[in-house]
Amino acid sequence: MIRFENVSKTYKNGTPALKDISLDIEKGEFVFLVGASGSGKTTFLRLLLREELPDQGRILEAGRDIGELPKWRVPYLRRNIGCVFQDFRLLPNKTVFENVAFALEVIGRPRTTVESQVPQILELVGLTDKSNNLPGELSGGEQQRVAVARAFVNRPLILLADEPTGNLDPANSESIMALLERINRTGTTVVMATHDKALVDRMRRRVVELDRGEMIRDQVRGVYGIDEGVTL
Amino acid sequence: MRVYLRYAVRETFSNLWRNRMMTIAAVLTVAVSLSLVGSALLLKQSAAQASAQWQQGTRVTIWMQPTATTAEIANVQSQLANLPIVKRCEFFTQQQDYNEAIKILPPSESKVLTVAAMPPSFRCVPTVPANAFTVEATFSNQPGVYQVTAPEQQIREMNHAIRVLQIVFLALAGVLLLSATVLILNTIRMAIFARRREVSVMKLVGATNWFIRIPYITEGFIQGLLGSAVAIGAVTALHTWYPLHNEFQLSMSALLGTNAVVLIVGVLIGSVGSAIAIRRFLDV
Repeated sequence: MIRFENVSKTYKNGTPALKDISLDIEKGEFVFLVGASGSGKTTFLRLLLREELPDQGRILEAGRDIGELPKWRVPYLRRNIGCVFQDFRLLPNKTVFENVAFALEVIGRPRTTVESQVPQILELVGLTDKSNNLPGELSGGEQQRVAVARAFVNRPLILLADEPTGNLDPANSESIMALLERINRTGTTVVMATHDKALVDRMRRRVVELDRGEMIRDQVRGVYGIDEGVTL
Repeated sequence: MRVYLRYAVRETFSNLWRNRMMTIAAVLTVAVSLSLVGSALLLKQSAAQASAQWQQGTRVTIWMQPTATTAEIANVQSQLANLPIVKRCEFFTQQQDYNEAIKILPPSESKVLTVAAMPPSFRCVPTVPANAFTVEATFSNQPGVYQVTAPEQQIREMNHAIRVLQIVFLALAGVLLLSATVLILNTIRMAIFARRREVSVMKLVGATNWFIRIPYITEGFIQGLLGSAVAIGAVTALHTWYPLHNEFQLSMSALLGTNAVVLIVGVLIGSVGSAIAIRRFLDV
């Protein structure tokens, strides 16, 4: 599904963000991306969205080199990638329903699709009774569930999550993780960048650790810190 | 497609409404500058029309006293016939002059005229334009002659005045058009800024570039369109009420042509303004 081939990226001010990264992520995998701030996690996700291009190496998604994609095709690439962020990025003046519907409307989906898909996805994230509320009237956990609904309403092949639990308390983090697992079980590839040690340790999924742009670990059923003494 | 149309129209008008003060400023600037452009064009056409009439038509008119006797008229006529510098002459009776005056003058002025008060006249074409002045000198003081007019000089002066006015108008219009473009650019920039959250979400979920851009382009387009609509109203009013219109008898097609230019320029600066704003501030 996703393949990095010797990918390096250095920002204009000279800081290296990623150094010679090679890895494969299969369809339907759940991958944690861990590492300290500035280790290159966000750059990794931005490269996947083609918000940045690598300086060296190639990135393949669904078998295609996304660096060779013409600029006008990029939006179509992004339709296959859902995104969730730490700060939710909801539109404050639109209701929950409208926020989710917006994602379908702006890619030109007809009204009938919107009217059938949005209630369905709101049911999946458990917010049917809040569909007419504004984001400001919801708790952080609920807002993040709206964001997940928006990211997934178009049934993307890949779901990227950048610290989705970063602003949430443990209970809400738990419900977001349950949601992401559920989405993962439908066959969607999930890549999640996180700092949440307890969460990674409990999930026992693949862990890729970055440190100052270098991949220092790629563990199939990993935990957050390598020092924890896990034997494979 | 229908979905998108509805979306684009809704976005465009909500942007226009949200920035209504800026929109009004932009529309008014477009309107004023285009009114100047339109007036300059009308003036140019008036001048061309006047010159054209002068080229083919009368160069010297000998106006007789309304009370001139038949003998006096015959005297002038025979002299004109024998003058080598006059190519041809035509005699207009009081009735003919009256009919012409009715046609040329606005009703408010023409209604006080009577046939008896009109001077009969000779409309003469000299062999070369400069001879007009000789003809004027010859006949000015003859019995029964009221006045000799050679409109050449007048028209020349008027043409000069019109040219100066036109340059001033166009220069002013140029400056104003530039500021109108900048104003439109700025309105669009503000609209983009006000919607930056929406825009970033749209990019994220994979809206195409044109999907994001078109509402802003139509916004600039509509501002240009509104501005030119106001300017067309002003130019048409000028054409209808300004006295130049009567003297030079500008045709309807001249007005339509001018209004077409005003419309095209208005729409153009609206589109250019928003295109620049999108290039610079809506990086997709």
